[in-house]
Amino acid sequence: MKASLDRVKAMLAGQKVDRVPLYHFVLGFCAKNVGYPIASMYNDPEKSFKAQLWTFEQYGIDGGPDFGYASYGGWEFGGDIKFPSGEWEQAPSHGSFAVQSEEDIKKLRLPDVKKDGMLPMAMEFSKLQDKHGTPISIVLGSSFTIAGNICPVEKVCRWMVRKPELVHQLLRAATDHILEVMEYWAETFGAERVIPNIWEPLSSNQIISPKQFKEFVLPYLKESSEKISAMGVRHIYYHICGEQNLNLPYWAQVPMGDLGMVSVGHEVDIATAIQYFGDRCIIIGNVNPVVIQNGTPQEVYQLSQQAIEQGKKAPRGFMLMSGCEIPPMSPPHNVYMMTKAVNDFGWYD
Amino acid sequence: MASKERTEELIKGLQEAVLSMDEEAAVEYSNAVLSEGVDAYYAVMNGLAKAMDKVGQLYDSQEYFVPELLLCSDALYAGLEVLKPHIKAADAQAKGQVVIGVVEGDIHDIGKNLVKIMFEAAGWTVYDLGRDVQLARFAEEQQRTKSDLVALSALMTTSMLALPQAIKLIKARDPKVAVMVGGAPVTRDIAKSYGADGYADNAGQVVQEAVRVLSEVKKASK
Repeated sequence: MKASLDRVKAMLAGQKVDRVPLYHFVLGFCAKNVGYPIASMYNDPEKSFKAQLWTFEQYGIDGGPDFGYASYGGWEFGGDIKFPSGEWEQAPSHGSFAVQSEEDIKKLRLPDVKKDGMLPMAMEFSKLQDKHGTPISIVLGSSFTIAGNICPVEKVCRWMVRKPELVHQLLRAATDHILEVMEYWAETFGAERVIPNIWEPLSSNQIISPKQFKEFVLPYLKESSEKISAMGVRHIYYHICGEQNLNLPYWAQVPMGDLGMVSVGHEVDIATAIQYFGDRCIIIGNVNPVVIQNGTPQEVYQLSQQAIEQGKKAPRGFMLMSGCEIPPMSPPHNVYMMTKAVNDFGWYD
Repeated sequence: MASKERTEELIKGLQEAVLSMDEEAAVEYSNAVLSEGVDAYYAVMNGLAKAMDKVGQLYDSQEYFVPELLLCSDALYAGLEVLKPHIKAADAQAKGQVVIGVVEGDIHDIGKNLVKIMFEAAGWTVYDLGRDVQLARFAEEQQRTKSDLVALSALMTTSMLALPQAIKLIKARDPKVAVMVGGAPVTRDIAKSYGADGYADNAGQVVQEAVRVLSEVKKASK
């Protein structure tokens, strides 16, 4: 495990490494792998940490465990969250939203980062990361995704055109919250040790236009990144989730630390990601999760090989990952195929 | 009774109201349609529905995105509210009936709502079961409503695994019912492997695909 983590640490320090690291985003699959309920990945820090640590060792995964989910922000700002329990459920989902009307925005208060929502569990998890010497991370949505977790997305979409000032109010609150969380983590562990994981699914071009990205997403990404870096945080990890090709020229304007870390979905080609971010970021990605779940082992192996061969050209490094979370129901042998691929094709000369 | 030119002007006004997301204009033009004696059904189909078809194309070609599509549909529904009560019974026959919903385990319903809008705009009757729908409910609702088509949606890789089971339950009750599936992780190949009759990449393509699927299913059952 230590040799694995050293590989990632060396790449983050800008040093040459022996092999492409395998850097997974894998939660529910770990729970199933060790016989825990999927919900425990999100509401039981100790089980979540152990399940990931054991699975990472089994599959030769080089990164460290993470704790979080895409609907982050809903609960913290006063809505409800439902942890996965049914046969077809993958991750926590919204119950009710804190903001349903203009009036609700006036009542919106920033969460107490020490007490509200999942943050006490996230802090407990980070203390386990600290104790075991794995990277200290905190998983957050970007301001736009958090806004869509505070208020239903369809309402946010309508307001973007009709009442943009309301969306900016939500984004202001979300950005201030991100910065308060980061300050708390930086005070607790030292800013230079914390790697914020910022996931951004909501701004995909399956939902908004690049023009809307420029107006509603980019300014807040820039602000939060600049202020997080000013705290002394070295690396910011961005997961550019889904179809975001039209947004990439704007993403390229976002500071991500030195080095930055960018993971992309299968919708964004690794060569394209290198073109936009390769000079200042480690590129991470992008094996299609649907193929990992529904495809054959050979298909997963082939996609991994393609990603590795493209990724090895990234000047600041590349890590192999799925394009988004490895689906919990993926056949274990398909997941192993990514491990096999880094071992077969990932070595640097 | 409006002249041919004036009728065309009103129809264009309705189209423009939808395309420019202008609810007030949609209501104004709809009221003018009624007061000037233009047939309400003609205005709905050639004005509002035709514009929404264009909106679907603009969405498909990434000129419009979800915010625009939602606001166009607000204008569509504003016009429909005025015109629908005045459609003659003989014209009120729906183009088709569809049961729609997001499968059990999944609460992401934006895609399903966009598909519903496109069906309604095209004159279909939609029975919307909502989201996180128990799989057996789709077959039950299809039987209750005698719908031609069931449209299933899933956004998550885990919930998409519920699709083949839902399809099996529907087909077990009536093998002649057509089933379409959609959602971000689903592809045409996956849809086929799950036993679905149809698939659309996005909401803009869904009605055309539904018409194709129904005609195929009808042909096969003859």
